[in-house]
Amino acid sequence: MKSVTFGQYYPAESLIHRLDPRTKVLLALFYIVCTFLCKSLVSFAALVASVCVLVLLSRIPMRLILRSLRPILFIIAFTSLINVFMTKGEHLLTPENWAVKIYAEGLWNALFMILRIMVLIVGTGIFLTYTTTPIALTDALEQLLSPLKKIKVPVHDFAMMMTIALRFIPTLTEETEKIMNAQKARGADFTSGSLLARAKALVPILVPLFVSAFNRAFDLASAMECRCYHGGEGRTRLNVLRYRAIDWVMMGAVIALGVTLILLNSCSFGFVLG
Amino acid sequence: MDKIYLENVSYIYGEGTPFEQTALDGVSIGIRAGCITGIIGHTGSGKSTMMQLLNGLAAPTSGKVLLDGYDVNTTFEDVFDAWKSLPEYQNLSKSAAKKAIRTEIRRRRKELCFRVGLVMQYPEYQLFEETVYRDIAFGPQNMGLSEEEIRARVLEAAAFTGVDTDWLEKSPFDLSGGQKRRVALAGVIAMRPEVLVLDEPAAGLDPRGRDYIFDGIKRYQRETGSTVLIVSHSMEDMARYSDDVIVMANAKVLMHGPCEEVFSRIRELSDIGLDIPQITRVMTMLKEQGFPVSEEIYTVDAAVEELYRLLVKGKGGNAT
Repeated sequence: MKSVTFGQYYPAESLIHRLDPRTKVLLALFYIVCTFLCKSLVSFAALVASVCVLVLLSRIPMRLILRSLRPILFIIAFTSLINVFMTKGEHLLTPENWAVKIYAEGLWNALFMILRIMVLIVGTGIFLTYTTTPIALTDALEQLLSPLKKIKVPVHDFAMMMTIALRFIPTLTEETEKIMNAQKARGADFTSGSLLARAKALVPILVPLFVSAFNRAFDLASAMECRCYHGGEGRTRLNVLRYRAIDWVMMGAVIALGVTLILLNSCSFGFVLG
Repeated sequence: MDKIYLENVSYIYGEGTPFEQTALDGVSIGIRAGCITGIIGHTGSGKSTMMQLLNGLAAPTSGKVLLDGYDVNTTFEDVFDAWKSLPEYQNLSKSAAKKAIRTEIRRRRKELCFRVGLVMQYPEYQLFEETVYRDIAFGPQNMGLSEEEIRARVLEAAAFTGVDTDWLEKSPFDLSGGQKRRVALAGVIAMRPEVLVLDEPAAGLDPRGRDYIFDGIKRYQRETGSTVLIVSHSMEDMARYSDDVIVMANAKVLMHGPCEEVFSRIRELSDIGLDIPQITRVMTMLKEQGFPVSEEIYTVDAAVEELYRLLVKGKGGNAT
């Protein structure tokens, strides 16, 4: 149906949803830096606490956040195993004569790695994918990258392409479904037979889909030309992005978080990365 | 007997999500065999959803869709129950049995698609072959028919829908919109379905294109005795071509019966905001002006007759 939203955007009323999308892009970048600033157990604890606060502020259901972690479970498991077995240190935990040697440093490394990846995914998810619509995101990127126009990078055109692509993903999905149903109604079978037979069965879907996608593109191009679209030069916007007090406050808060994390790195409780 | 029977059918989109939407709400209705039944209603009244349930493209959330008295949606259990006492089945290993049942379900679904031909809205967008002939032949080919049989069916379907024989070797993409529509319709008729279901078959066509399409459908129905269902919001077309009419509103059936019967409740129809045929409006206005005409006129032909009657009578009595 048409109401299916694209991507992971979760509509809700929250502080994070209301932030300017440019702020959110910057915050996501700061936040990534923050995760790499952490070196001690205490600063990691602070980082995890901050991510919990963000989850609460964004009003996104916990189950959605956990679901976003599912696809990276394998990577987390793999990297932490490598860390556990490959890190060499001073505190050997396994008996001297074992072939496999596990050091305390390896366990700490693995733990920090897991926390770092998880915070990275959840944090950027909260700032970008969950609370910002894809269209708002491209708008924000266009404005943030606009200094590049000075060195002749066609920022506006890239952003327009992105916007159009995002706009047409749901349309094309719907169309694919319609064409598939129409061909199924004529007895087409997409699920059985050899690999080659299945690939061939896609022709009755792909041909009409491409034809209509191209037609749509031509129509859109003429519609844009009819309304005198001539690129980004001198173009004003319908929704002007404006920083508000809350944007500055959030940016300040995340910078403060970064500084705190650095300071906490000197706290030697537990373990500190070399 | 009813060709198709919907037994307390409900359909809900996106059940259990914030986007949940009821498209059909406990609909029970029988479609007479060998008739043209028109389904009218606003956008979102559930009529297009009903179409998709008929050939098993979608399964109802609850309730049953019966074709000739048999449920169109085969489940795993259905096949299992039918097969479990067969010795051939019992000899199969567990995984082989599962696979056999899945294949059987797929076969039945496919067969249903051939029996209930569905023409979706704007069907010209589904054309894909290099030539018109091969596109019309796509359905019969999937049925596994012989080359001669396919040829016969393509030519027959082309004749029904007014597809010229010289188009057959052309690319479908070189035809006009109305011509493409006729080719797409022929692609479904070529499967010779016993039930032909059409969703807004004349949407966006000029009057001549509409006539081609509807005349083709009517001819197919008359010559093969099949059952036809047409979803439309044009009362004019329904009045002209259908025997029975179903009026849908808010996911429910509001009225169902022979064309005349439903149209005689024309006031109610215009009350729920459906367009009544223009000619009926003209006759109502004439009556309001004091002319002794019947209001139960739904087609231009009937109106001509009625006015003729009035004029002839008028000559004998006092001229108004």
